[in-house]
Amino acid sequence: MKTKLIGLGILAAVIAAALVYAGIAGSQAVTEISGYVGGEKIGLLEDEEIQGILKSRYHLSIDYAKAGSLEMVREDPAGRDFLFPSNQTALELYESLHGSPVQSEIILNTPLVLYTRSAVAEALEAEGIVSTAGDVRYVDMEKLTACMEEGRTWASIGLPQLYGSVAVGTTDPAESNSGNMFAALLANTLCGGVASEESLEEILPRLQNIFQRLGYMESSSADLFDQFLKTGMGAKPLIAGYESQLLEFAVEHPQDWEQLRGDIVMLYPTPTVWSSHVFIALDEAGAAGIDALLDEEVQRLAWEKHGFRTGVYGAASDTSFFGVEGLAAEITQVAPMPDAAVMEQILQALS
Amino acid sequence: MMQKMRRFLSLTLAMLLLLAAAACSAAPASENADAVLGSGSRVLRILSGSENQDLEPMLERFAQQENIRIEMTYQGSLDIMRQLEQEQIPYDGVWPASSLWLTVGDTGHRVKHAESVSVSPVVFGIRKSLAEELGFVGREVSVSDLLEAIRQGKLRFCMTSATQSNSGASAYIGFLYALLGNPEVITLEDLQSEDLREQMKELLSGVDRSSGSSDWLKDMFLEGDFDAMVNYECLILQANRALTERGDEPLYVVYPYDGLSLADSPLGYVDNGDSGQEELFLQLQEYLLSPQVQNEIQRTGRRTGYTGISEENLDVFPAEWGLQPDRVLSPIRMPDTEVLFQCLNLYQTDFRKPSLSVYCLDYSGSMAGEGNEALVQAMGQLLLQENAEKNFLQASKEEITILIPFNGDVIASYTAQGSGSELENLYQLVQEQPVGGGTDMYAAAIRAAELLQGYDLSRYTPAIILLTDGQSGGSFSQFQEAYSQLDAQVPVFSIMFGDADETQLEDLARYTNARVFDGRENLTEAFRAVKGYN
Repeated sequence: MKTKLIGLGILAAVIAAALVYAGIAGSQAVTEISGYVGGEKIGLLEDEEIQGILKSRYHLSIDYAKAGSLEMVREDPAGRDFLFPSNQTALELYESLHGSPVQSEIILNTPLVLYTRSAVAEALEAEGIVSTAGDVRYVDMEKLTACMEEGRTWASIGLPQLYGSVAVGTTDPAESNSGNMFAALLANTLCGGVASEESLEEILPRLQNIFQRLGYMESSSADLFDQFLKTGMGAKPLIAGYESQLLEFAVEHPQDWEQLRGDIVMLYPTPTVWSSHVFIALDEAGAAGIDALLDEEVQRLAWEKHGFRTGVYGAASDTSFFGVEGLAAEITQVAPMPDAAVMEQILQALS
Repeated sequence: MMQKMRRFLSLTLAMLLLLAAAACSAAPASENADAVLGSGSRVLRILSGSENQDLEPMLERFAQQENIRIEMTYQGSLDIMRQLEQEQIPYDGVWPASSLWLTVGDTGHRVKHAESVSVSPVVFGIRKSLAEELGFVGREVSVSDLLEAIRQGKLRFCMTSATQSNSGASAYIGFLYALLGNPEVITLEDLQSEDLREQMKELLSGVDRSSGSSDWLKDMFLEGDFDAMVNYECLILQANRALTERGDEPLYVVYPYDGLSLADSPLGYVDNGDSGQEELFLQLQEYLLSPQVQNEIQRTGRRTGYTGISEENLDVFPAEWGLQPDRVLSPIRMPDTEVLFQCLNLYQTDFRKPSLSVYCLDYSGSMAGEGNEALVQAMGQLLLQENAEKNFLQASKEEITILIPFNGDVIASYTAQGSGSELENLYQLVQEQPVGGGTDMYAAAIRAAELLQGYDLSRYTPAIILLTDGQSGGSFSQFQEAYSQLDAQVPVFSIMFGDADETQLEDLARYTNARVFDGRENLTEAFRAVKGYN
């Protein structure tokens, strides 16, 4: 009881002190905006350097809750200043549900890539599925998809130590953006262009077939990537993820990366799709977030520390500081995502 | 001047906040923790798989360093999954054996920062001479090879319940793949096959003993006389160290190449909105993932780090025990959630060896009121099938349930077969039985042993489940006499309640290679846990 009273007393003192402090600091008031964010950007929003710039130059702090890209736009937007999903489909969906937002802008980009181990990359290369240009490795999506549809085993491509058939590990397309975009990539591949209403009838059953055989899927891109690194080549021989994930890992865990770099291989699908992180401002306060995040310094840090390609730094002349071999200077072969209505049907078929 | 003032104020503010936090957060130890490490006033509560008991020394060190307390509550991975589905999650961290259960349970997305701490495959550990005899040494073994040995009666084994524990579930899914002819993934259609049903029942008839937890399975194995067990590689290693220390034959590890699963041991933070707890959790996680502690964890027989087992730790994974530290661990694919749950339901209702459970329930005078109400409620969770189903504890058609209410003497005994009305009628009897009189649990246990003599125990997983709330009269030696007439080792699990005498119950547990469950905090949970062992 006594400690409780003391606690209350202290609390009162804290409140008083806070009031005084707020009075003094008033001229420098920081506006806090709040909204939903896709999980893969949390590292960036938690970056103290970036938070510092937002605070000192824009008097802004960003409070967020994590949510899936499509899930967040479906919800009632009342009470939020912004949404920050990981693909443009979400913006399209927002517009069809709620009309035009106050403002929207692509802040960051990262291409969808596949991650694998060197032994697997070599086997895929011997099969003509992977090719190398300079030190960048590309994966021919048509050939890879054919390999999966035929149900070829790892053993048949020269990897007897791996059990089962060739597959790309992915997150659940209904729950996570990377899985969602990988489904889009496969849909595009299956129809040899950009999947449309007309092509759906033919490709949906094939898509279902590929995904059904994956069985259980993770629901978070970050968890899948962590398992890829930790459970080794046997458990996750080949997964889909974002380019930014490995770049951020290499910067944040230089020692771990030192041990791993000889074995981890990034494969760029040809063509790939962009994960475009669109900031959707729901009110004027939220719109200030766009200016702040487009700050040149913030954009530089987003690339150098978190691996997101940005307007200014998208075609990076210098990629060597990551210490990641096979990082493409530019992403040239990109196909657009299918439109929102088509994506909805794809996701429905896969859930 | 202004700046100085501001700095001074913010410093004071920070200090006051710290003080306030300290005064408010001196929370009492939650009474249901299984292990309390350290003695500080700040507490991190972690819900964990039992296999992590091995890591307590490392957790203890962190707790002392930071002057905090870590409270570990051990549950099966499936219980952890169900806990995550609840509205309230009264823990700061969850640490199931596999991320599968975390993902399936965390529908509200409240778990953050989940990272794998170590990896251990689920393997068969077989007495080395038997493994040699069966030709499993020095070659690749498939699940079918193991099944063949089981079919021929040459191999009997222990495993945890597939519906309660990750290691049992993983092994069972591996069996399903093998019996279905290794399809790419199991479908609902596959599961309806009559052929599968027969073969799986035959296979699971080779299970000697079951358990609700992997760590206890290892303990039970060490106490009993068994040939083989399915468990995590790290727990087989631990068992081997104990076996060789006392001069017994070690187990030989077999990695079934077409039925392997990995436990990736993810430790995640449960976001209940307290940033102080989050920070503390992240500190603990960082400590566990630091090179030094990862190396220590590796020395317990777990696989850690990114580059496999280090040169200096190879001695922990000896080749003469069948260990393959360099093996590429290539697991089977887990089916999607819908199929997985159907697999688990089928295990519970159709495939597993039927249980033969004898409930000896205390109706002595001291149980009157709340005690009796709690008992009735707890039994309702097991006997009423719509409740039992929620926890994958439903009865199978061939299951036998015997009820022996007792006080100073046996009051009566009732037997129900199957999962239908007979079983539900027992619930009525549980409800209607009046309380009164003294306590003699031995009399009830003796009656149980006598009744069990009327059954072919090799066809069942038998267990006596005894609930008592007081110091018991009667005679342990008389019980021993009756028990020795049985031709199988039947565990007597007891649930401690009220003023029960723990030493009396421990004696029973030791004598029958069983364990005591504490029902004083939550009787329903204790009954559920005990049923998971049967």
